[in-house]
Amino acid sequence: MNVSLVAENVGTSEAPASSDPVVALLKRTMPFQVVSDDMLKRIAALARRATYTRGETLYRVGDRADDIYIMVSGRVEHALGLGSGARTLNQVMSSGDVFGWAAFLKNVPTRLATTTCLEQAEVLMIKGDDLIKLFESEPAAGDVVMSRFATMITKDFTLPEELAQVLNIPRRGEKAGLSGLALTVYRAALWLKSPKPYLMMVGFAVFLSFWYFAVEVWQLPRFKEMPGLTAVVKEWLSEDPAYGLSIYTPEYYQHIWVSVRRVAIAFALATGLGVPLGLFLGWSRTFREYVFPIFETLRPIPILAWVPLAIIMFSGSETPVIFLTFLASFFATALNTMLGVESIDESYTRAAFCLGANRWQVFRHVIVPGAMPYIFTGLQISVGVAWFSLVAAEMVSGQFGLGYVINTSYTMVRYPTIIIGMVTLGAVGYATSAMVRIVGDYMMQWRVRELALGGQ
Amino acid sequence: MMQGQAVSSSMGNKLSAVGRGAIRIEEVVKIYDPEGAAVMAVDHCSLDIAAGEICMVVGPSGCGKTTLLNAIAGFHSISSGRIYLDGELLCGPGRPKAEPGADRIVVFQNGALFPWRTNLENVAFGPIVQGKLSRKEAYEKARGMMADAGLSGTEHNFPGEISSGVRRRVEIVRALMNDPKVLLFDEPYRALDSLTKSVMHEALLEIYYKNKVTIFFITHDLEEAIFLGHRLAIMTTRPCRPKKVLEVDIPHPRDYSVLTSPRFRELMDETLEAVHEEARKAFELGEKEG
Repeated sequence: MNVSLVAENVGTSEAPASSDPVVALLKRTMPFQVVSDDMLKRIAALARRATYTRGETLYRVGDRADDIYIMVSGRVEHALGLGSGARTLNQVMSSGDVFGWAAFLKNVPTRLATTTCLEQAEVLMIKGDDLIKLFESEPAAGDVVMSRFATMITKDFTLPEELAQVLNIPRRGEKAGLSGLALTVYRAALWLKSPKPYLMMVGFAVFLSFWYFAVEVWQLPRFKEMPGLTAVVKEWLSEDPAYGLSIYTPEYYQHIWVSVRRVAIAFALATGLGVPLGLFLGWSRTFREYVFPIFETLRPIPILAWVPLAIIMFSGSETPVIFLTFLASFFATALNTMLGVESIDESYTRAAFCLGANRWQVFRHVIVPGAMPYIFTGLQISVGVAWFSLVAAEMVSGQFGLGYVINTSYTMVRYPTIIIGMVTLGAVGYATSAMVRIVGDYMMQWRVRELALGGQ
Repeated sequence: MMQGQAVSSSMGNKLSAVGRGAIRIEEVVKIYDPEGAAVMAVDHCSLDIAAGEICMVVGPSGCGKTTLLNAIAGFHSISSGRIYLDGELLCGPGRPKAEPGADRIVVFQNGALFPWRTNLENVAFGPIVQGKLSRKEAYEKARGMMADAGLSGTEHNFPGEISSGVRRRVEIVRALMNDPKVLLFDEPYRALDSLTKSVMHEALLEIYYKNKVTIFFITHDLEEAIFLGHRLAIMTTRPCRPKKVLEVDIPHPRDYSVLTSPRFRELMDETLEAVHEEARKAFELGEKEG
């Protein structure tokens, strides 16, 4: 390391200030940017120049901190050590950067980082005490410089980084694919730690015991004819069920499979057609004027009213059921997507036009992602109504499926099987709805994180 | 780097050095609903803004100043008059609505960073959609510009994860990525608390000193207007037209010590009366309609 006094290099005071390279450099640095030239000259007079070769250490953690450093050329790197749980945060400094602010700290100041030279570096060093003395004599300028130093130090400890660590949210980077899953796992772990699962269990316990007591113990009027809790559970778990359906019979799974398959096909069709339709309804005013009135006339027609037409239109027993299931889903998806497009703040589309996007790019980069939260709300509703209309359709036509099970069990007086069918529907319906939510969270991490920061 | 003395003595010369971004507003009229209620929002408004100038447009809320901004940006049409940018007609007879473009970028009142894109993706948006830079080049440039503005470390955050003050800075950097001639600010700091505001003002000036652009800045905050602007255009209330144009002869670069200077107080006094009168008019108009 070589040190020389800069003061020797400072030109005569008549020369324009900006021609002095030290003053010019100081002017480029963040803390000294707004200081008057006169003051900069006085600061420059305090500076010493030093050069370091590659690999040399400027200072280590714990060293006495005397000087503030200003990079002239070359590059140095900090390895930050914070107490015992030292963490490396590699920060590279280059020309015009200021570091070593620990020299401003009162009482015996020590270095918080180890700084090494990455490539041949030239720095200016100014004694922290000298600088403080100068500022005390010029409080107005000193105050400005110190407040800018404070801003700079704050930036060194960037908040979002810390926040992300505290919240344990993986930052989106190269491993973007993983972070969605990690986030879901994290949320599940958080849920298990909260009192929510226990409250939920208490709720279920109260509900089931009421069922048990009302039907089997107290035999309340209206409840007497209902299959009791124990009867249903026994039937459900029986290897040889009295009415032919339990978790041990393959028919049980066949019914579930048939229903799930129908919902899956109908839901996929409804999404594939409903989302684009909704997007165009929201985006193009002309298109909406053509289509929306028809849409609004068809939408309120109950699914059951479509049954005869569905049977006339489609042959076989499978397609009419899928058509009916699709129909309700489709309306819910398209309507919510359209509302999603309408909900987008006009500023976003205007900003995109300002930034040079054409109409198609605005559609792709603003309308589609902007409507996404509404689209997924719509899809969750749509899965729900898909199950709803599926059961209605299966009761009318079809030979398999959970709706069919419930309907035939009623006509054939297999009361416990009705309950088995209903509970299975509830569970499977809940699972599909949860899947839609997970996919939504995965695709809209920005929203999940926004809500997470809002404490939700 | 702009030198303080030079600005105060010959502001005009200094500004013309920038050479681009001069706005000329000529007799602009905007009437909403001309067939029906015919509300006149802007009435024969003329204003010349020099290249590289910070022009603060001051007036009470709802006085019609945003209408003017929307006309320059190309969001709304005008009823008559002309607006030029560097001598080229943006809108005028036969072309009532200007085409929005990356030479005039708006920084919006409530912020308009796309919440579904990370900050870096937001900053890189302009050059990518314009096809000026490849995705990779755009991200590289965006990273560099964010680092220059002290925004390193927030690149992979979404706008919803950072403070509103930082969001505004990212939005300004997103605009500067396109090397615009003019930045149009629509009361961008309105929702910020006064402490954050003061930090934002210094940060904005810092950015302005580094990137010479013309700034058209709408506000109703007099202190903000005098602190930032080369000139103040105080507007009348509905219809909107300049009532008084005032040169702020405090030299740039400025910092917060300006706020306590005697000249600043004098300018405040000088403008306060004019602004207050308009504010009262706006209030009374509002009451009548309410």
